[in-house]
Amino acid sequence: MLRQAWLVCVKDVRMEFRGKEALNAALAFALVVLILFSFAFDPTSEQIREITGGLLWILFAFSGVLLVNRSFAREQSNDCLDILIASRVPASALLLGKAMANLVFILTVEAVCLPVFSLLYNINLFLLPQWLLLVCLLTSWAISLLGTVFAAMTVNLRLRELMLPVIVYPMIIPALAGAMQLTNVVALGKPPEGDDLIWVRLLVGFDIIFTALALGLMDTILVD
Amino acid sequence: MSDKILLTVGLASAAFLVRNLYQMFMVLPDEAAQGAIYRIMYFHIPSWFSCFTCFFASGLASGYAIWKKNFRGDSLAVAATEVGLAFTAIGLATGMIWAKIIWGIWWTWDARLTWAFITALIYAGYLMMRSMIDDPGERMRVTGVLSIFAFTSVVITYKAIDWWRTQHPGAILSFRTGGGNTDPAMEAMIYQNWFALLLLTVVLVAVRFRMEESRREIEGLRRAVYAG
Amino acid sequence: MDQRNFTYMFYGFAAAWLILALYVVSLVARGRKLSEQVETLKRTIKQEKA
Repeated sequence: MLRQAWLVCVKDVRMEFRGKEALNAALAFALVVLILFSFAFDPTSEQIREITGGLLWILFAFSGVLLVNRSFAREQSNDCLDILIASRVPASALLLGKAMANLVFILTVEAVCLPVFSLLYNINLFLLPQWLLLVCLLTSWAISLLGTVFAAMTVNLRLRELMLPVIVYPMIIPALAGAMQLTNVVALGKPPEGDDLIWVRLLVGFDIIFTALALGLMDTILVD
Repeated sequence: MSDKILLTVGLASAAFLVRNLYQMFMVLPDEAAQGAIYRIMYFHIPSWFSCFTCFFASGLASGYAIWKKNFRGDSLAVAATEVGLAFTAIGLATGMIWAKIIWGIWWTWDARLTWAFITALIYAGYLMMRSMIDDPGERMRVTGVLSIFAFTSVVITYKAIDWWRTQHPGAILSFRTGGGNTDPAMEAMIYQNWFALLLLTVVLVAVRFRMEESRREIEGLRRAVYAG
Repeated sequence: MDQRNFTYMFYGFAAAWLILALYVVSLVARGRKLSEQVETLKRTIKQEKA
């Protein structure tokens, strides 16, 4: 199953990096919002340290959903989705592959936005790179996994673009809340400890529970 | 369930609720620290418990519906979710009124309140999603999965007072604290009112369930009429 | 404070019952709409058969 998931992932990533439609749109969106932030508050004040995590993860959640939205919609032309479902790839592998591909896209957006944010707002986010990487990986997986599941659910809806965020954002709030807290702590240059560790546990638990649920239930969403 | 049973349960619930109101106001004294306002808890806590029960039932029914491809399970899930949302509204409203007196503010963003709000949003999204999917089979599968996913948020709401330091009061019921926090007579009242509300919940869910069944029947008939 | 305390307790109970009442009213209203639809459908089917 992992091999098939890998195939789906490689296919999606290759497709996206050839066309770069969704990725370019998401990147442009993210950069525009990054600039918009500077109008929402005084960009030179010290206050911004306290809301860094919040700003960044709202940004990544929004551009993440933009990316995820395309994940199944991409397969609608030429009935590709029906063919994928009819193929020997199980639905769970399809989900896993697509979620991995979306993880790559979201991480790409983050890889661009984090340094830009650091530069523009004079906050060094990379004091503890290993912690930052961990937070990014865990949270991005949460966004891409739940996003992919719900994208599969809403792919046939008339108001797909509207309905997906309405469902996804409330569901990923636990992960986002954790990521915001941890990013704030990490941006200050101290490793998370004490009360902050509950957020790490929350993130890990969130990922495990939803990965299991999603893999178990994916057949129901797509097949029959 | 037949009309007669439903009516009986409904009347029993009404009688029990009236009896509880009498007990609350005439028999039980004011609470030492909070005064009269604490009586809101007799509705606040049982409402939330009924709400959690409803959402749990919705998750179970959804699982059953998906597993057996049974549309009755789907109807039960939507009925339970909707009644659960009504109780969510009651829980939020009563909580806010209580908070206005005790904390001086209507709302605060602590973990418990925030997650209760998120849970309400998710289940509202569930109902919205239902109205957007036309195919009954797809609706059952998609919203069923959503209901199961959504239940994690209920669990977080329930455990929030243990996991974070919240402004919302911690556990007071003895099955969580080990006893000694709450006067037994007052605690008993909470359970009694929960029981009364649960009876009411059963009636409401049953009524809503029937409506959903006949709605699906209408859908099917319409399809048959316009196809033929 | 006591007076306000008491008034708000009353508000709390009123809110709880009001929400329940509203929900029941909406249930009844929707139920009525459904039975109207059933009637219309029945008539349509009768016409189709005739």
